[in-house]
Amino acid sequence: MRKSLKAWFLLSPALIIIILFNLLPLARTVFLSFQSSSLNNSHFIGLENYITVLTDSRFHQAIYNTAIYALAVVPIGLIISLIIAAILYDFKKFQVVFEVIFFMPYIISTVAKGSIFRLLLNEDYGIINNILGWFNIMPINFLDDPEIALLTIIIFGIWSSLGFNIVILLSGLRNLNSQYYKMASVCGANKFQQFWLITLPQLLPIITFLLTVNCINSFRIYTEVYTIFNGKAGIGYSAITAVYYIYDKFYVVNRYGEGMAAAVILFMLILIFTIIQNLILRKLTRR
Amino acid sequence: MQSKIWAITAYIFITLMTLITLFPFVYMAFVSFMTYEELISLKLIPSGFDLSNYKEVLGQASFVRYFLNTVYTATLSTLATLCTTILATFAFVKLNFPGKKILLMILVCLLMVPYEVLVFCNYLTIAQWGLMNTYTGLILPSTASVFYIFYLNSFLKMMSVTYYERARVVGASDLEFIVKILIPLSKPGICTVALLSFIDGWNSFLWPMLITNDSNMRLLSDGLSAFSMQTDRDFPLQMTATTITTIPIVIFYFIFRNQIISSVVNTGIKN
Amino acid sequence: MIKIENLHKVFDNKYEVLKGLNLSINEGELLCLLGASGCGKSTLLNILAGLMQPTSGDIKFEGCSVLNTPPKDRDIALVFQNYALYPHMTVLENVMFPLRVGKNRLSKEQAKKRAYEYIEVTKLEKFINKRPHKLSGGQQQSVAIAAALVQEPKILLLDEPLNNLDATLRLKIREEIRILVKSMNITTIFVTHDQEEALSLSDKIALVQDGHVVQLDSPQEIYLEPANLFVAKFMGNPSMNLFIMRKQGNRLISNDFKIDLKLLTPSKFKDELFEEDFFVGIRPEYFLIAPNAPVFTTNIIQKELVGKDCILHFKLNKKVAKIIVSTNSRVVEGNKISVGIDYNNIHIFTIDGRRVY
Repeated sequence: MRKSLKAWFLLSPALIIIILFNLLPLARTVFLSFQSSSLNNSHFIGLENYITVLTDSRFHQAIYNTAIYALAVVPIGLIISLIIAAILYDFKKFQVVFEVIFFMPYIISTVAKGSIFRLLLNEDYGIINNILGWFNIMPINFLDDPEIALLTIIIFGIWSSLGFNIVILLSGLRNLNSQYYKMASVCGANKFQQFWLITLPQLLPIITFLLTVNCINSFRIYTEVYTIFNGKAGIGYSAITAVYYIYDKFYVVNRYGEGMAAAVILFMLILIFTIIQNLILRKLTRR
Repeated sequence: MQSKIWAITAYIFITLMTLITLFPFVYMAFVSFMTYEELISLKLIPSGFDLSNYKEVLGQASFVRYFLNTVYTATLSTLATLCTTILATFAFVKLNFPGKKILLMILVCLLMVPYEVLVFCNYLTIAQWGLMNTYTGLILPSTASVFYIFYLNSFLKMMSVTYYERARVVGASDLEFIVKILIPLSKPGICTVALLSFIDGWNSFLWPMLITNDSNMRLLSDGLSAFSMQTDRDFPLQMTATTITTIPIVIFYFIFRNQIISSVVNTGIKN
Repeated sequence: MIKIENLHKVFDNKYEVLKGLNLSINEGELLCLLGASGCGKSTLLNILAGLMQPTSGDIKFEGCSVLNTPPKDRDIALVFQNYALYPHMTVLENVMFPLRVGKNRLSKEQAKKRAYEYIEVTKLEKFINKRPHKLSGGQQQSVAIAAALVQEPKILLLDEPLNNLDATLRLKIREEIRILVKSMNITTIFVTHDQEEALSLSDKIALVQDGHVVQLDSPQEIYLEPANLFVAKFMGNPSMNLFIMRKQGNRLISNDFKIDLKLLTPSKFKDELFEEDFFVGIRPEYFLIAPNAPVFTTNIIQKELVGKDCILHFKLNKKVAKIIVSTNSRVVEGNKISVGIDYNNIHIFTIDGRRVY
């Protein structure tokens, strides 16, 4: 009895904060999503917010953008990271130096990275368009063209995702069983075959893990959009994402109920995704 | 022969990717020394290391203040997180009490809720408590973390149970056990929590942006964002401000690079 | 000095480890809790130390119940099976640790002085500034004992302390432990599953089975006069030969041999032999080679040399039985031997395990 009292006492600082800032806001989010939007005089309005959000073309745009972003950034980022990690793994000397370099962007704030990219991608004097000019490609209006806004975010997303992936993949490679390679060399397999037949299957759990993490992170992008377009979601909300939509509803136009309904929908999507991912992972590991 | 071609391609690829990774930061630093004219003439390297941009930025916005605010909030929330996390994990790992399993289950569920879903209602809470534009408001929600509790849990579980039993038999109080045994023995885990929590605090953006509208209370991230909006297209000034906000964390990164990387790997793999 | 009364312990998963255990231990005694793993001996030790609460029953130290006394106030010290030495502390710090924590902690100088005393006793002077993982298993064991003795406890509890050591070291350290605790006159409770260890070092053995103490006696008594079939089977290596025999008049008969009950000492019967079938137990050393008056003759199927003695295997009543003879007798596999029985040292049990002779 005394012992369990002590346990709860020790847990209480963490639990109080977690209840106040994790549990209650979750409940409140769900609650608000069924309320009319003004805070002072709100009342229960059933699913109306959900209907508004689900029929809002801007929300469709946000979900579409988020999905396309995830579908582009996750595989491309992962493949580039995998190639880099595989090459770095063969570097015996400067492996750690390169690891430190490639990881650096990860710890720098998105706002800082975004503001650098805003300059690099500038139509008139951005370096990227300058380089494209060498190949006779017309300057691309990365920042002010609604058709291209999503591409801009995707480029930035891929560039930002490399560091984390490389570091995790390298650690996975370092833990591989080297005996398989000795066997493969004896059998005369070349580097490429070794990678394809031995390395990749062994990395599968880590790759699945990275897929999950990257996907969930993609669903949550917001700061990237906010900073690249300097406080907007691209021209005419062309680069709006799910979280940006919630932010806009909640903080800019103060329609709390609709914002929270969108948040619940996003949470559900992430939840369903995680569950499916887990089922696949369980099947993979059982084999 | 074939393997040589492979090797050369690999080297070129890595060089290219290193350039792509590093160039933005190098260019950022260079532009911070340029005039607007130098920038639009597409020069890569500034003609001299002229500090006038820095003077102007620091005159226009109080980045020193933002820096101090950031150090203060990141440090405090890290220390608070360490305290709450260590106490909670001690209770979870070393003590048995009714309801433990259910509590852990609830926490696992909370782990799945993305931060962005919670942050807006937290903003309402802080606003209702009248804590807008206060350090308390900035720090409070990040003084405990389900994620770090689970991470330290998995770390402490590897510690022999008899360490705690021996301490009990010889009459050490729980606090003595935590200070003399638990903390020294779980140093790597605690370092990981400290480093990651500090970096999180340093880079946090959405939360300070919601909670502060007084420019004196801004942190580096939202300060930089606000500055960029004010100066719109004056890129040399923006890059100067970006450089100012980035340098401290880059220095921090190079000092603790190995610990930071292994922290990220450890927490990543554990999940 | 220590009295354990009707102790019950039921775990959270409803498993009952202790089922009304009674035991008393005298001051200065070295007692072994002996039993197979899972019999409840470690649980009992944990309850004695105060690390676990019993479900019911009582423990009295010098007449006072200690159930509500926290571990630190029980005047006990506990040596763990894995020693539980703190890896980040040196030997000296580990030995000092008990003195530097809790309400009555000593000053650094006092603690150091006392720690040095016990480090000397355990001959660890050379290692005081080393960390535990730099020491051998035996040295770690000594540190653990020094760290326990430094508390100057009335009662020393040792939880399978020799388990992690190799065979020769075990012999050496168990002697050292006995000399040490006897010279300091500390009441010691020693948990082990190794009967040889128990027989060689304890004043008394409490044999624990299935949550009960089945016999509490001196090592000699427990070996020679087992209280029941379980004790008889447990003690002794090689273990006692057991045969099921049927009572027929004044004889016990079986396929291959008979025992005439008139040859047994009448005063040693604890009860009359009412039942039909009995277990007869004969230790391998009480089969005798008796060419003149054999009870049976048999062929040796296997021979194990131990040293000055050897163990011969043969078939009796379709079961393998063993006899210990002097190696000097030069019997080899395949030899035919005539075997007699030392009737003074056989035991008779009922089928449900009660000893009747």
